[in-house]
Amino acid sequence: MRERLGIKGKPRWALAIDARKCINCKACIVACKAENGVPLGKFRNRINEEHGGSYPHLRASFEPEQCHHCASPSCVRVCPTGASYQRDDGLVLVHANDCIGCGYCIIACPYDARYFNPETRVVDKCTMCVHRVDAGREPACAETCPSRVRLFGDLHDGEGSLRHTLDSRRSQVKKEQTGNHPQLYYLL
Amino acid sequence: MPEPRWGWLIVLYLFLGGLSAGLFFVSALATYLQRGSGPAYPRLARVGALLAPWPLALGSALLVFDLGHWYRFYKLFVTFHWRSPMSIGAWLLAAFTGITLLSFWSWLPAATVGGWVRRLPRRLRFLRVLDAPWRETLRRPLAMLGFPVALGVGIYTGVLLGAVQARPFWNTNLVAQIFLFSAMSTGCALLILVLSLRRAGLEASEARLLFSLDIVLIVLEFFVVLPYLIHGALSPLAVREAIGLVMGGPFTVAFWVLFFTLGLLLPLVLELWEMRPVLLERQTFHPSRGLAAVSAVLVLFGGVVLRYVFVFAGQVSAFQ
Repeated sequence: MRERLGIKGKPRWALAIDARKCINCKACIVACKAENGVPLGKFRNRINEEHGGSYPHLRASFEPEQCHHCASPSCVRVCPTGASYQRDDGLVLVHANDCIGCGYCIIACPYDARYFNPETRVVDKCTMCVHRVDAGREPACAETCPSRVRLFGDLHDGEGSLRHTLDSRRSQVKKEQTGNHPQLYYLL
Repeated sequence: MPEPRWGWLIVLYLFLGGLSAGLFFVSALATYLQRGSGPAYPRLARVGALLAPWPLALGSALLVFDLGHWYRFYKLFVTFHWRSPMSIGAWLLAAFTGITLLSFWSWLPAATVGGWVRRLPRRLRFLRVLDAPWRETLRRPLAMLGFPVALGVGIYTGVLLGAVQARPFWNTNLVAQIFLFSAMSTGCALLILVLSLRRAGLEASEARLLFSLDIVLIVLEFFVVLPYLIHGALSPLAVREAIGLVMGGPFTVAFWVLFFTLGLLLPLVLELWEMRPVLLERQTFHPSRGLAAVSAVLVLFGGVVLRYVFVFAGQVSAFQ
């Protein structure tokens, strides 16, 4: 990881998601909207629902998803003005003042994680609550989750709980074939 | 995607940008084609150059108004990001706009420019430079310079869509070729339409060049569209599903009836029919204005539908 990202000594923030713990209460969505003032009808995170089977053998699975803060984010690559950028700690963010609102990044994201903010008229997305992370706290979605689905941490921190979890449990990432090197780890 | 981010403004821009590129391409070609010691198609070169800047001007305006903040478009021109096709395209468009406007000026009839300059108020007298006699000498260098830029403008829109790995409907280099040949073909078609609607009508030699060119371009388009479909149908599942959008999916009628049949096949048949005296070397060639105009309108219509299908179907397509 460290070699691939070419960063040494700095944190690399990421989330691990234990989707089997998710009860679809949507507290993460509410917390995100409250924390970040997300406009009505727009969301920075979501819970993908899947139902199947036939009575009485039924299943329902819930899988939270948000920006994957990819290691090779296609949204940053296609941005014509440099408004979309990635920090050294891996967070993919948007300089709202440099965004012209062309929407290319919204289309280029394989995870549909970005949206057009009708209030600011520029592109918006999950910031991993960068204001909280920089203050040493975890993102609102991770903090609020009653069943502790999300585990936030530093991939570079060998002693951290995120590194421990990902080292000791199998995990997978979504749509790896698009080459974005997504960093939202789904525990198996 | 929950809702398409790019809509009709983008569809029309992609069409109009290609149209300008095609017009300039034909005009530049005609500038260089000689018969004996003189230019072979002076009227095509002139009309093409006079028309070329305007579809793009309208298209660029649509593009700017599609932005979240239209006045921020200048931010495209204070940076350059070589990995973003849109950044490359913005600079190409700027260069192309400059070249087409200069070329427009160099082809304006002397009487028109002379008339304007004479009516200028005293304060604007310095604009008499617009009537400079040397402007005609710019025509050939501008045609040469603009040729690759026009091709770039014609192809970059397809590259822009193709460069998105997240959308399997677009993510192949063939989209760039389809857009390029379609752009050149619509440029030919608009010239056919404009000249056939003029009182003097279409000259046989001009019609022969334009129809030949358009037939070649439409055939090339066929031979890109068909590999695109075949390749797509034989690709990994995500691409096959994306191609399914036009093979039984919601864009099937638009693609096969409106684009493929009405916008590609029918104009090809009409133009071949028009050209049959030339092809069979029997009679002399008398282009019919009605047929020419109809085939040209169909090509232009096909160009719009092609972009509609690609813009909307592409945004629907995704990896599962």
